[in-house]
Amino acid sequence: MGMRTLQRRETIKGWSISSVYLAYTAIFWGYPFVWLFILALSRWNFLTPRRFVWFDNFIRMVTDDVFWQVVFNTFNFMLYFIPMVLGIALLFAIALTKIKFFKTFFILAFLVANVSSGVAYSIIFSNLFAINGPLNRLTYNLFGKTIPWFSEPQLALFAIAMMVTWKFIGYYGLILYSGLQVIPRSLYESAELDGATKWVKFRKITLPLLNPSLVMVLILSIVLTFGIFTEPFIITGGGPMRRTLTFQMLIYTTAFQRLDPGYASTLAMATALLTFGCVFLTRKLIEREVSFV
Amino acid sequence: MKRLVLVIAVLTVSLLLLGQVELVFWTAPNPLQEEFWKETVDQWHQENPDIRIKWSTIPAAASSEEAILIAIASNQAPDICTNIMSGFAAQLIGAGQLVPLETFPDFWDLVDTREMREIIEGWKFDGSYYVFPIYSNPMMMWWRKDLLESVGFDRAPRTYSEVYEFSKAYSHGLERFGMQVIMGRNWWDRWFDFITYYYAASGGKPYLDVERGRATFDDEYGLEVAKFIDTMFREKWTAADLGANPFYMGVIGGTIMGPWEINWAKTQFPDIYNNIIVAPPPVPDSYPEDAPINTFADTKGLVMFAHSPHKEEAWEFIKWVYSNIENDKRWVEITNMPPARGDLGTHAIFSSFMAEDPVFAEYAKYIPYAIPPALTEQYVDVQDMMTQYLVEPLMYGRATPENALSNAATRIRRILW
Repeated sequence: MGMRTLQRRETIKGWSISSVYLAYTAIFWGYPFVWLFILALSRWNFLTPRRFVWFDNFIRMVTDDVFWQVVFNTFNFMLYFIPMVLGIALLFAIALTKIKFFKTFFILAFLVANVSSGVAYSIIFSNLFAINGPLNRLTYNLFGKTIPWFSEPQLALFAIAMMVTWKFIGYYGLILYSGLQVIPRSLYESAELDGATKWVKFRKITLPLLNPSLVMVLILSIVLTFGIFTEPFIITGGGPMRRTLTFQMLIYTTAFQRLDPGYASTLAMATALLTFGCVFLTRKLIEREVSFV
Repeated sequence: MKRLVLVIAVLTVSLLLLGQVELVFWTAPNPLQEEFWKETVDQWHQENPDIRIKWSTIPAAASSEEAILIAIASNQAPDICTNIMSGFAAQLIGAGQLVPLETFPDFWDLVDTREMREIIEGWKFDGSYYVFPIYSNPMMMWWRKDLLESVGFDRAPRTYSEVYEFSKAYSHGLERFGMQVIMGRNWWDRWFDFITYYYAASGGKPYLDVERGRATFDDEYGLEVAKFIDTMFREKWTAADLGANPFYMGVIGGTIMGPWEINWAKTQFPDIYNNIIVAPPPVPDSYPEDAPINTFADTKGLVMFAHSPHKEEAWEFIKWVYSNIENDKRWVEITNMPPARGDLGTHAIFSSFMAEDPVFAEYAKYIPYAIPPALTEQYVDVQDMMTQYLVEPLMYGRATPENALSNAATRIRRILW
């Protein structure tokens, strides 16, 4: 009997504690999530009654040139962004393990980029890359040429990739740095006894044991790629020739300027599925079980 | 006895409240405009105690449009609202959300009091007027007087040839360019470049025929504008990415600006502000010298929502605000934005203001010639197409002016159709 009341009391306690979270999730996550599906199957303009059109929006999407352009842009962007951010963040992390003084200062200095306003640094970068900006002055003085940073599609994507990389080196570097910290020193010492070179140690010990952190950074940067908005919105407006248009820009203008939340929801679902697909693939291909014993 | 008095008091107050009409009124979330409306609404309450105005700014959201849409979708929309731009108005009209204002018997009296007949024509939709324009920002060229003089110009270039002449003299490698021709690559930038130039070149012809679903800018005037953009880029007298504030840095001699720039320029670059010439946008060489030059009006207006149960009262309020010229004077003083009045440049009440600020006076002069954008629901797509098939190919030299123009017109016809 006493056992039973205790159990009941525990149940009540448990539910009442988790109910706050459950209610929150139901309202702010569950409800919009259900609406996303309803909207994706509807034609609506916020103002006149909504009507079901079933899969019209999906059919429209697969035949929409702009959608495929954005898919292409996103992968094109990843091609520049991921190797760049991964490489430089790794270098930053390794450098952190080497330096002895002012470590916190360096970490903070790189993290400042991560917390600064997207609008503000976009304006600074657009000055940096401007036709009369410092970069073009330099190349003009040295080689008599200017680089059309935001007028050439590949260069524009590359320039935006550089900006985003700059913003995330500190954050990703810190994740990799903590990954480096947990690799036991003893492994390196025994490898040294066996006469391993620096490169062998890096390839055979550091890289495999860093796998969990690397996968995390990789996944974060993939998810980030699908969410880019501010930099192209401020600097290129999606141009030249729609080559820097991103999913978030397309979804935003479709929902609130073209007044087509149904199609915007369809696009949002596609974006989510693509993101999930990329993350899944990355984990399948790259993630390894790691143990330090 | 005490209790009876209390009961009576409560009854009278509630009766008074019941008899009272409450209008929900939203205005732009802009501190200067808020200041104006706060005073105005207070004054209304003193004079009209039986109609309460529940005034607030448009709720915070990514944009006013977004906030209003959400309010309508959730049945929380106001009775009247300001800050409505043309494209959004077209979307609201299309959905049957707005009241045609000419249905109020004294609508035309109010229009005439403000000498707004010409201005309001730009807001005609299917023969009705759903938007009451509040302010009208003509887009004007700003030229640096010092830079013009440095190459021997004592006045602003008027025609394309004069712009070329100045640009040729002033441009120098990467350092200096004649003028900024293209304002950016976002869809809204087309208001401030191609559409502005087209209005100027064509004497104010509409660039779309919304009713017949056609682009009309594919004509001799459009071609002149396209050739102008093309020439400026090919000769390197302008460039795509000019960095921030090129006008103040002396990178360009001239650019298109709205009157909202005045307050900012005054405080940030006072020396340069006192050294500018305000002029209409450049026109083709064949444009008659004595004819007024049209330009684009960045304009916002007030609308009344069709669901409002108090339309008569709402109209009374609108009339009360906009028939009193003192309110317009106060509006100018507080917001520095030109009210949509045909007599702004000529009426004595504004003359002290005009004398004080010649830049503002120049803007005021062009209000009758400033034309709002086409009233189309598809404004985003239309201007996206202008960017992609007209302006960008000309910037990068990937199409001839003729081809760019006809490509863009074809694409836009497909959207409007």
